[in-house]
Amino acid sequence: MTPEEMGKVSKRLRLGFAVSSVVFLAVLAISPVKDSLREWRRYERSYVRYAESRPDTKHLLADFHYQIDQVWIPDMNVVDRCTTCHQGITQPSLADATVPQPFRAHPPIPHRVKDWGCVICHRGQGPATEVAEAHETTLAWERPMLSVHFIQASCGVCHRGELTEAPQLNRGRQLLAELNCAGCHRLEGIERPTMLGPDLTNVGTKDSREWIYKWLKEPRTLTDSNGNVTVNGYETEEEPRMPHFRLSDREIRSLSAYLSSLKAKPVEPYKFDPRVVAMWEKKPDLADQGEVRFRQVFCTTCHSIAVTRAGETKLIGGDIGPELTKVGSKVNPDWLVVWLRDPQGYLAHALMPRYEWSDEDLYMVTHYISARLTDSDLLSDVPKLEPANSEEIQAGRRMFLEKGCASCHVVEGIPAQKDFGPDLSALGAKNVSQLEFGQSKIPRTLIAYVQAKITDPFSVNPAARMPQYHLTPSDLDAISTALLGMTGPPSSPGLARLIVPATPAAYHPAGTFGDLYERYKCYVCHRFNGFGGTLAPDLSFEGSRAQRQWIVDFLKNPQTLRPTLTFRMPQFNIPEGEAQTLADYLGTVMQSPGVNPAKVDAKEFTPQMSGLGKQLYEVKYQCQSCHTIGSSGGYVGPNLSNAGNWLTPAWIEAWLQNPQALVPGSIEPRRALTGEEIKALTAYLLTLKPSGAAKAGAAAGRGGAR
Amino acid sequence: MRARIGLFLIATLFLALTPACREKPVAAKSDPALRAYDVEPDWNDPQKLTPLNYQQAQGKRVFYTNCVWCHADATPAGPSNRSNVAPTPPLANDGATLNPLSDEFMVNIITLGGSAMGKSAMMPPWGRTLSQEDIRAVIAFYRAIAQPPYQSPARPAPAYASK
Repeated sequence: MTPEEMGKVSKRLRLGFAVSSVVFLAVLAISPVKDSLREWRRYERSYVRYAESRPDTKHLLADFHYQIDQVWIPDMNVVDRCTTCHQGITQPSLADATVPQPFRAHPPIPHRVKDWGCVICHRGQGPATEVAEAHETTLAWERPMLSVHFIQASCGVCHRGELTEAPQLNRGRQLLAELNCAGCHRLEGIERPTMLGPDLTNVGTKDSREWIYKWLKEPRTLTDSNGNVTVNGYETEEEPRMPHFRLSDREIRSLSAYLSSLKAKPVEPYKFDPRVVAMWEKKPDLADQGEVRFRQVFCTTCHSIAVTRAGETKLIGGDIGPELTKVGSKVNPDWLVVWLRDPQGYLAHALMPRYEWSDEDLYMVTHYISARLTDSDLLSDVPKLEPANSEEIQAGRRMFLEKGCASCHVVEGIPAQKDFGPDLSALGAKNVSQLEFGQSKIPRTLIAYVQAKITDPFSVNPAARMPQYHLTPSDLDAISTALLGMTGPPSSPGLARLIVPATPAAYHPAGTFGDLYERYKCYVCHRFNGFGGTLAPDLSFEGSRAQRQWIVDFLKNPQTLRPTLTFRMPQFNIPEGEAQTLADYLGTVMQSPGVNPAKVDAKEFTPQMSGLGKQLYEVKYQCQSCHTIGSSGGYVGPNLSNAGNWLTPAWIEAWLQNPQALVPGSIEPRRALTGEEIKALTAYLLTLKPSGAAKAGAAAGRGGAR
Repeated sequence: MRARIGLFLIATLFLALTPACREKPVAAKSDPALRAYDVEPDWNDPQKLTPLNYQQAQGKRVFYTNCVWCHADATPAGPSNRSNVAPTPPLANDGATLNPLSDEFMVNIITLGGSAMGKSAMMPPWGRTLSQEDIRAVIAFYRAIAQPPYQSPARPAPAYASK
């Protein structure tokens, strides 16, 4: 090769080298350039600019580095890089709504980001470093963020009991329990009660086939497409218990045949005292007198009936028992008497207390129910039904099982259909790919699926056996929240240790008190050491609060203490001996550790002290804004007109000292009272006793005040 | 040859700069009401929903436990106590009365009670019952539902552009 040629080659080579070096450098440069353009770096630079525009720059940038920030908690499988962009999340000074996102601070919650990370509650992809990947769904990452509207679902993952700070979650769980969802579905934290719907073993002795037909065709509780619930045509706010199933006429015929054939134990009519019958039978105002007794007994504390006032008819009363406006057209009158005398004799699980009826009262009240609470048109659209033949009955029995009726209703000889519907205890952790959307046009998200399934089960699955529910938008969101919080077993041992279980409460005392407690079903309305209803006052500390004689008198003749309440304790006609037993038990057992009766001597209270107390009550603290004495004052706290006979001195003192220490969550504001002021107020309250005239007036007003 | 090198170069650059065959994330379409932590229906028009953030929602909870009895015309237990109290307490959404009051004044009257602020002693002090956080939250809730709407006092916006 000549030198000239060599030169040419080397020139070409050099050029080649030069070009490839440039290419090489350019390729090398791609990576750092791309890196510096990453989304999170843009946000970090933006944060620095923002911090520099504020007066507290130094503080805001104290811990700042240009790098990916990460919260790593191996124990809980948390690898969260969210704080890379959400730089201000722990800066209290950035809490203001004017701070631009993503730099705004997190609202103050009991959990710190450092200890928990973000995705534990918000879901989404913690390790991602791009906005879209972190927040939304990709092919590989399927857990989108949970909308803040449903974020309380995440509280429910660990907190299995009631949580004051999460009202939406509590409401959702309450609805799941009230609507008997646990009858068909397995739900985390919601036990399947022994009885959900009524026991139907003897339903044929109670209702006619025609009535059952009507009920199955059109439950008296109806919901229109706007979510307005009506019972027997009257608007109500209660949740319908028996949902609407889509049944064909043939199915309804066979089911009604089967159910009306269930008469295992025939009704033996009760024989009234002939003198009572003779005296009342012919009286023209029998039903009117029955109505008066019906009201006086306060049946409406648990049952509602339609009442017309000022031209407007609406349902008045409670929702513990069924609505009764047309019950006279439903039940067999003989059955009604037997039922009222001994509800548990017909239904062992019945919540209805056993009243101490006199024959006269029972005769009047049952006559009133059978004569006045009726509707002659109720069954007019029911076709003529022949007496059920065995073929229809057999078909009805099959239908009963096919439709899953035994999930909620008990019939002797038919095993309960547990887990008839799908297991929902891990619904909240499901991926979208695991859901069947069918032909529906809803967005492909878990929340949309859950809500569609509840509002219209047939929209996602035309073969659904689930009945139709109509919920208000807020209730629908609450139920969705509770369901999304059911994510199955914890995903890591760290999380498993964090579960705060619900505290299961049960209070079933033994002995004579226990018998009376069961008989009058005290726990349906009252709460005892965390167990029982919330309609009436919590009696866990009743022995410290109330004087013994007052309890006895109250049980024999209950009067309301809180004028705002529309519900009152029913008149059970509790005999003296039983009232004494109940008062003895409440007085000795239901005591608060915060009240020491020995520390207060009733003799130490002088008229001067009570005079000062009256001043404090009326002028300095103006307690009358919430409490009534005599005929004036507020409705928020209990009426204090009879405080001297009602409350114990030790309770009043402890209560004034710190109400929330005795009853957590009490709304009575805690005040800064001096010891002297507490003594004076106690002395004054103990002087409050109704005069003879006022007492007679109160007794006369009883029953008519509603 | 040169053309081939050029082609190779361009191809390399293109491949390097294109985000590798990646599935684009799918954004879930969401209803604006579903983005709010909680909502409160307008007191005069139940169809109109006011979105609430976390703090306002906590305030709503405190309000419906402690304040609703005297500062609303309907309560969870039925009749309101408002008519029993003289002078009549303002409704919680009464913007005309409450908007001019500063947050500081509101915090004080709730914490210390009416008499400490030269108002009616019928308003009890809540400072020993509610936490400062609760009180701030209630005020945030009042501001959120105020009619006419509440305008927070103007403050100098920091000179900052997000991009």
